[in-house]
Amino acid sequence: MSASICPRRLLLWLFAAWFVVLFTAPLIGGQTLDFRELWSGDPTTATIFWQLRIPRVLLALLAGGSLAAAGMSYQTLFRNDLAEPYTLGVAVGAALGVVIAIRLAPAGSFFGLSWTSFASFLGALAASALVFGLAQRRRSAVGSTLLLAGIAVSLSCTALILFIQYLSDSTQTFRMVRWTMGGLAVVGYREVLWLLPWLFGGSFVLVRSRWELDLLLTGEELAASRGVDLVRLRLTILAATSVMVGAIVAVAGPIGFVGLMIPHILRRWIGPTHRFLLPACLLAGGIFLALCDSAARVVMAPAELPVGILTALLGGPFFLWLIFFERSD
Amino acid sequence: MTTSPATPAILEARQVSWHSRQRPVLGPVSLAIRPREHVVLIGPNGAGKTTLLRLLAGLLDRQHGDILFDGTSYEHLDRRQLARRIAYVPQIRPARIPLTVQQVVEQGRYPHLSSGRKSLRLRDFEAIEGALRRVGLWELRQRSVDRLSGGERQAVFIAAALAQEAGVLILDEPTTHLDPRHKAKVTNILLRLKRETDTTVVAATHELRFAAHVADRVIALEQGRLVHQGEPEEVLEPTILEKVFGIPFVVASPGALATPRVELPE
Repeated sequence: MSASICPRRLLLWLFAAWFVVLFTAPLIGGQTLDFRELWSGDPTTATIFWQLRIPRVLLALLAGGSLAAAGMSYQTLFRNDLAEPYTLGVAVGAALGVVIAIRLAPAGSFFGLSWTSFASFLGALAASALVFGLAQRRRSAVGSTLLLAGIAVSLSCTALILFIQYLSDSTQTFRMVRWTMGGLAVVGYREVLWLLPWLFGGSFVLVRSRWELDLLLTGEELAASRGVDLVRLRLTILAATSVMVGAIVAVAGPIGFVGLMIPHILRRWIGPTHRFLLPACLLAGGIFLALCDSAARVVMAPAELPVGILTALLGGPFFLWLIFFERSD
Repeated sequence: MTTSPATPAILEARQVSWHSRQRPVLGPVSLAIRPREHVVLIGPNGAGKTTLLRLLAGLLDRQHGDILFDGTSYEHLDRRQLARRIAYVPQIRPARIPLTVQQVVEQGRYPHLSSGRKSLRLRDFEAIEGALRRVGLWELRQRSVDRLSGGERQAVFIAAALAQEAGVLILDEPTTHLDPRHKAKVTNILLRLKRETDTTVVAATHELRFAAHVADRVIALEQGRLVHQGEPEEVLEPTILEKVFGIPFVVASPGALATPRVELPE
């Protein structure tokens, strides 16, 4: 599985594509915008473009990239192709946080964000901490133990979400269900700005850990013998990614499978070294989610499909393909 | 053996023991390895060879005793400092390694990278090229590791350990699961190391012929205890081997050969 495309060239193309998507995807939607009208300064078009669509596409680009980068880190850390924020319980932990917040419905906000968003952020961190804590108790926190712990946390959170939904009235239940579908609608610059420090901070930590992640590819024991502090590395990666995922889920709901599909495809193209794979994930994950969201805006126009449903629709079959056909090559 | 017994030890274990939750695995064991010495551990499965190697590599925390590198206790060396002094080639590795030969060998330079700017410099590339040439893999450096034979793969990981430029090389079962040709290849790499470098080598093996070829000193372990040690001719002889492994051995040692030939019974 070594590189089949020149990694530097692919990064360049992805970089260009990222900007092309940023300025063309906002034209697509329930109401298709004409670029000439935008250019001539039509106020309605300009408002839709700059105030509604651009922040939404920007959010998709940032969130998709971060989800892909988080998935890539988990896959290397746990030596498992199926690890991603969704399967490890981090995203589901965040969802549980939101569902609890909707049920309790506290008024007001916290640091300028609604309680729902804040609770989701906390939920992701708590789920990560729990996954790591469970694995650490087994003295040697090997990859498979962590993955099992993630699945256990994920199942428990899902059960609790269903239980809380069962206890709630129909309005609350509708809000919960609608939110757990994952969507990028009703997003403005405020949310994007709020996300930026978390996503940049997390990505920065991942970029700094690229050598250690590469070393894990030849086995944990060899990595340790070369001077990698495995426990510290796991803690660092889990902390960085749960901050990223928690923040995304807080704003957009749980969006699954981006973190599964994108790193996997890119690995086939440019190989597994994180020096190239990580920036490629950050760019391509964003492009993918922005395109999915554009499609979600038009397939059922004038209604909008939550983008989480679309990624899950693509992700489910991909997951199956991964299990049944991938190993045979 | 060129070094005299008076030379201070480069690696020293003092009354070291280690036990898993269920049972004692090793020790107490005391052992001193001199610079440039090639030491081979032999013993049946479960004798504690790998545990001793992992303790010496600093990968396990000893529960009793002390281990010293050149007189400094491991307690005073952090992981990266230790990695600049000791390189380890484990027996068990992931089944799939999706990297090229050169990418794996580059990883040997990790302990030498500055923690701020982690990129390879000219000095690192020289070490990588030297290591690849020493094991005869320079021409295959762009090849994917997954496409190599078992013996070539073993050579890749030895090269990565050499690129680490540590004074001590620890190898766990370097020839196990290899066909005779590749066994000979790995053996020759180690013999060249002995001739051409100052590397100290500690290896564990089930291959008694390998031990006879490369060892200055053979150490026999049995149930976590060090039961015999000495030059290959002293330890690789029928009575000791039968006691250690529990089956009779025939050791053929024709006068012309400097090393004893160990043959298994039919």
